[in-house]
Amino acid sequence: MPGPIDYSKITITPDFDTAEWWMGTKEHKYLARQCKDCGHKWFPPFPACNKCNSMELGWFETAGTGVLHSYIVVTQPILGAFVEAVPYVVGLIELDDCHEADGSLVRVGGVMLDDEEDVAIGLPVTVEFEQTNEANIVVPRWRISGTAENTWKFRE
Amino acid sequence: MGALTDKYCIVGVGETPHMRPSNRTTLSMACEAVKKALADAGLEPRDIDGMTSYQAGDSTTSNHIATSLGMQLNYSVDILGGGSSTEALIGNTIGLLEAGYCKTMVIFRSMNGRSGRRMGGQAPSGPVPPTRAAEDNQFMMPWGWTSPAQRFGMSAMRYLRDTGTTTRSLAEIAVAHRYHASLNPKAVMRHPITIEDHQNSRWVVKPLRLLDCCLETDVSACLIITARERAYDLRQPPVFIMGGTGRTMSPNAAWNYSRPEIHYVAGNYGRNRLFGMAGISQKDVNLISCYDAFTFTTLIQLEAYGFCGKGEAGEFVKGGRLQIDHELPSNLSGGHLSEGYTHGVSMVIENVRQLRHRADDACPGWAEGKHSYDRQSSCRQVKDARIAACLGWGTETMSSSAILRGIAA
Repeated sequence: MPGPIDYSKITITPDFDTAEWWMGTKEHKYLARQCKDCGHKWFPPFPACNKCNSMELGWFETAGTGVLHSYIVVTQPILGAFVEAVPYVVGLIELDDCHEADGSLVRVGGVMLDDEEDVAIGLPVTVEFEQTNEANIVVPRWRISGTAENTWKFRE
Repeated sequence: MGALTDKYCIVGVGETPHMRPSNRTTLSMACEAVKKALADAGLEPRDIDGMTSYQAGDSTTSNHIATSLGMQLNYSVDILGGGSSTEALIGNTIGLLEAGYCKTMVIFRSMNGRSGRRMGGQAPSGPVPPTRAAEDNQFMMPWGWTSPAQRFGMSAMRYLRDTGTTTRSLAEIAVAHRYHASLNPKAVMRHPITIEDHQNSRWVVKPLRLLDCCLETDVSACLIITARERAYDLRQPPVFIMGGTGRTMSPNAAWNYSRPEIHYVAGNYGRNRLFGMAGISQKDVNLISCYDAFTFTTLIQLEAYGFCGKGEAGEFVKGGRLQIDHELPSNLSGGHLSEGYTHGVSMVIENVRQLRHRADDACPGWAEGKHSYDRQSSCRQVKDARIAACLGWGTETMSSSAILRGIAA
């Protein structure tokens, strides 16, 4: 579990391309961009489909589950907001339901609620949403949700 | 071979000392670097009619330098960028000279990289005050994932898992570059280190330790490029530009993390262009500068540019292979890990000096190309240095490069 994160020291500024995504987190939805013409899914929400170039876009509500593809353990804070949070784990999560036939997939980052000792590449994870103390921003975080075979853990 | 291979040359190099802090403006430092490069080349300010630079909103501009030094430029453009910009601007410069926009051109970077704006955004004294998470950073900063070490660390961790490489291979790179710094009077960190020193250094962000990370310094560094016909009349043996690439991308370049392999980096996509244009192979290269923002960036670029096979870099670097007098000496000045941090220019400068056979070391006759090759006496000139590869790094998904050839060895 990371220490407290002081969100008053980060001003998140949703914009034309991202405002609806941040609205989604308030409803506890982890959204991916989806092309209305060809169905392709991606993240972050770049404003055109890189497969068919359509700009007719919607959102896909993911299950908020995935597999830990990689991680880092931050021991030295860079941002003021995270001074009390170290050490904390940032995970790279491969979402379960954004795989496409041509191999395209979606991976997203996020703070892990687990301690370093409990984290391993290959483990299943699930999202949780945290209301911050600031301006209606809800932030997704992730937690190990089960076990798996062939996991890998960084050994010093 | 490329249509312009060997047609343009690097004829002057110069830099300020690496300072922490400089207590100077980026303009003042840049003027010093440009003046030193002019003197090195045997040129006057009036001989320069083109200038270009890169920065991250943290530096002076070409027109301020031109004004300070009494130049009137026919071409001047300052771009945004960090690592990988040096070689990209060498490419721009060749195109501009060939097209006749100008005749002799300066490339510079000037940064208070320690006392001013630090990469990753932290304040000079520590963590940053309140900040804005906008654009792509909306999907990184709120989860505490911002600095280059944190970003590249994610790819490094997966690389260790996928290849079975250990951090002792990262240590080999830190040790090699530090050894070279011990032979470089200009280097900030000159005390040799061991693999154990690396293994015992503190964590910054796992899997990267303090000795995996480059320095942060205040410095300006400068190159001067012109056509070979002009170069023949100047002070130094010319160094010919054989080929290069400029910010070559991988697919999905603005979001590395959804690519099938997050450590299959951009150099893989630039390598054939680089060696094809230069008309040589990896086996012809005598020394490299391999961008060392972190030990990992050097490691992964060895694979990307084909000096070893995929997944083999961890074995390749063992036994001091990247050290002087070994097979592929890397970052002879000490690189960003141990000499100082210039976003790449200083690595190209060192290669130029090596190819001139005029590494500015402890040998009394270095300026005339007289070297002892005695490492105990701090000679850092590579014997028979003829071809150098400059392997720049911006991110996993963005890479620039250049191959240089000298005639003095």
